[in-house]
Amino acid sequence: MGSNSLTLAPAPRSAAAEEVRVEVREFLAAELAAGSFTTHVDTWLSGVDPAFSRKLGERGWLGMTWPKQYGGHERTAMERYAVTEELLAAGAPVAAHWIADRQSGPNLLRYGTEAQRAEILPRIAAGECYFVIGMSEPDSGSDLASIRTRATRNGDGDWVVNGAKVWTSNAHHSHYAITLVRTAPADPANRHAGLSQLLVDLSLPGITVNPIRILDGGHHFNEVVFDDAVVPGDMLLGEEGAGWHQVTAELAFERSGPERFLSTYPLIAEFARRAAEDQDPAQLATLGRLSARLLALRQLSLRIAGALDRGELPDIPAALVKDVGTTFEADVIDEVRRVVDVPASLDSPDPLGRALAEAQLHAPGYTLRGGTNEILRGIVARGLGLR
Amino acid sequence: MTSSDVDLVVETVRDILTKFEPFVLTAERPWDAGLWSALAEAGLTGVGLPEEAGGSGGELADAVAVVGALAAGAAAVPVAEQLLVAGPAVLAAGLDLPSPDEPLSIAVDGAVTAEPRDDGDGPGSWTLTGTATDVAWAGVARHLAVLATSPVGPVLALVDVTGRETTHAANLAGEPRGSLVLQEVTAAGALLTDAQAQQLRARYALARAVQLSAALQQVLAWTVQYAGERQQFGRPLGRFQAIQMELAEMAGEVTAVAALVDAAVQAVERGESLVLAAAAAKVRAGAAVEVVARLAHQVHGAIGFTQEHRLHHLTRRCWSWRDEAGTETAWARVLGAGLLADGPDALWPALTRAV
Repeated sequence: MGSNSLTLAPAPRSAAAEEVRVEVREFLAAELAAGSFTTHVDTWLSGVDPAFSRKLGERGWLGMTWPKQYGGHERTAMERYAVTEELLAAGAPVAAHWIADRQSGPNLLRYGTEAQRAEILPRIAAGECYFVIGMSEPDSGSDLASIRTRATRNGDGDWVVNGAKVWTSNAHHSHYAITLVRTAPADPANRHAGLSQLLVDLSLPGITVNPIRILDGGHHFNEVVFDDAVVPGDMLLGEEGAGWHQVTAELAFERSGPERFLSTYPLIAEFARRAAEDQDPAQLATLGRLSARLLALRQLSLRIAGALDRGELPDIPAALVKDVGTTFEADVIDEVRRVVDVPASLDSPDPLGRALAEAQLHAPGYTLRGGTNEILRGIVARGLGLR
Repeated sequence: MTSSDVDLVVETVRDILTKFEPFVLTAERPWDAGLWSALAEAGLTGVGLPEEAGGSGGELADAVAVVGALAAGAAAVPVAEQLLVAGPAVLAAGLDLPSPDEPLSIAVDGAVTAEPRDDGDGPGSWTLTGTATDVAWAGVARHLAVLATSPVGPVLALVDVTGRETTHAANLAGEPRGSLVLQEVTAAGALLTDAQAQQLRARYALARAVQLSAALQQVLAWTVQYAGERQQFGRPLGRFQAIQMELAEMAGEVTAVAALVDAAVQAVERGESLVLAAAAAKVRAGAAVEVVARLAHQVHGAIGFTQEHRLHHLTRRCWSWRDEAGTETAWARVLGAGLLADGPDALWPALTRAV
C-alpha cells in the first residue's frame, strides 16, 4: 500500500507489559475464585461494579499512562493494553470506569486546565470517578456536526446549557459528561466551527438523566437532558470553538482498543471448552479461524498502542481496527452457531447457550457505538486518498 | 547484507521486475527463466541464506522482503520456495545447499518412502521410492527437498531432479504443480523429528502467507488506482460511496493480514515456536482472499475479468496460494487444536503466546 496512512510500524515487544499481564491474570483468577464477579459478554458496557473499579485503581491499573502528579503511573500504552485485554478476556466488570480511563482522562490531560486535572484525574485513577460521552443527540447520530445542544455565556461568565444527549452509557452511575455543545451559531460554510467541549458535573441542577433501555431490557443507555443547566465558566474544556478537533482526537482513543474486538471473547472461550470436549474437526477449524482473525486484530491494536506511545494520533488506523474488529465481534456468534447445536437462551442450562444469548442480544451495538462502520469506512476511504 | 538494507533489496527487485512483465503461464512456458537469471545474477536467489553455504547472506527479513516484492509482481520464479522453505530446511538438516543459481523447490505431499543406505544418525544416504504430488515448480526446479517417510521417522532428502519425468499439472494461475515419480533414487537426506517435519510444513505455509500478504496489498493498490482513474456518470468510481465502502473493506482485510504475517515472521526471527504463528498467518491470509479478490474484480468490472488486464495475474495466484501448503481448513484445525493443548480453559494464555 506504500504511502497511504493506514499502515503503522509493528509494535515493539514489551517485557513490562508481559510482567503486568501476569499480575492481572493472578488477580483475576483470585477474584473469580472468590466469586467477586462472574464472566459475561460485553462487560465494558454492562458490567458496572464500582467496588471492582476501585480495586483496579488500588492496583495501579487505571490512569496507567498518566503523569504521577495526577495520580497516574507513567507506564506505557503497551502496558495499559495488556491490562485492558486481560480484563476483557476475563469478562470482568469494567464498565463503571471504562470511559473515564480510556478517553475522558486522556482528553483532560490534553486539553484540561491545571485545576481540572488536579481535581479529577486522581479520582479517575483511583476508580472513583466515572464519565460519560456527551456526543450523540436525538437528531444527531452519525452526523455529529449537526448537534443542537447550545451553551451560551450568562452575565456571570457561566455557561447556560440547553439540549439533550443520548446513548450516554451509564450516565446514571457517572459523575461527569464531557459534552459537545454549540457555542456559536451553526455556519453552513464551516459545519465544524462553533463547537466546544464542556466538562459537565452531572449532579448540577437543570440536568435530568432518563433511562433508555436496550432491546433486552438492560439499562445502560440514558438520555441526559439539559434545561437551563448552569455550568461554571471555568468548565470549558480546551478552547472555545475547537470542540470538533478535540472530539476527533478523543475518538482515536475511543476506537482503537481491544474492546473493539473482544466484546464477545467470553463466548469464544466458552465455545473453546465445547470444542475441547467434543474434539469435532469442524469446531476445531472454526476455533482456528476465529483465533486467526482475533490474532490479526490484536496485532493491529498493539500497533496502535505503540503509535500512541510514540505520541502519534492514529485516527485513521483506529477507524480501520474498529471496523474490522466489531464486524468480527458479531461474526463470532454466526460462526459458532454453524458448528454447535445449542439454542441461545439467557435461561439455558448450558453456559454456551447463555453466552450465545448475551452476545446476540448485544450484537446490534457492536458496529454502531463509537461511530458506525459506514462512517468508519468513510474515514478509511479518506486514508486511501479517495476523499 | 544487514536488515537495514531491506529497502535497497526491495528496490533492486522492483527494478529488475520492470524488465519482466508477468505473462500467462502455459505448459510450454511455465516460468520466467529470464527473470530467474537476472535475479540470480544480482545474488537475489541466495538472500537470507548464509554466505558460507553459498548464499548471499542477510536476515530472514531480507528474504521475506524479496519474496514479497516478487509476489506483488506476479513473478513466475521459485524464490519463495528456495529462500523461505527448501533452502533453510536443507541447511537445518545439515545437507549441502545446492548453488542458489539453480532453482530449489520443496515437496511435502504425496507418498515417498525413504530406506536408509547406511546406519549413521547424521545426514546420510537414502533410497527414495514413491510419488511426490503437488510439487511447486515441478519440471522447473533443478533440485527438490523431499519430505519422505521412513521406518525410523520423517526424512528430508535432497534430490537432483535434472532430466526426471514430471507429470504436468498447474494451479489456477498456471504455476507448475505436477507430480514426480521416484523409483529407487539415491539421495542425501537426514532424519527429522516429527516436530521438525511439522515446522517445515509450517514454514511452507508461512511462505505462502508472505506471498499472499504482498499480493493482496498490490491488488488493493491496483484497485484504488483504478477507482481513481475510471470515470462513470461524470466522476471517478472512487467518488461513489458504494465503491468507497468496498475499498475500505478491502483495506481492512489487507491491513489485518499484513499485521499478522509480519508478526509471525518476527516470531520466527526470535526463534519462537513457529507452528501456531504460521498457521494463524496462513488462515488469516487465506480468508482475506475471499473478500479482497471478489471486491477487486467487482470494482474493476468486466475489464478485470479479461486475460488482457493484469488483475488476474494476482487474483488467480491468490486463489491458489490460499489452498497450497495446507488449506485454511487444515491449518485452522491445527491452530484450533494447538491453542487447546494446555486444556479447555487455557485458550486465552495460548492466544497471547501464539504470535
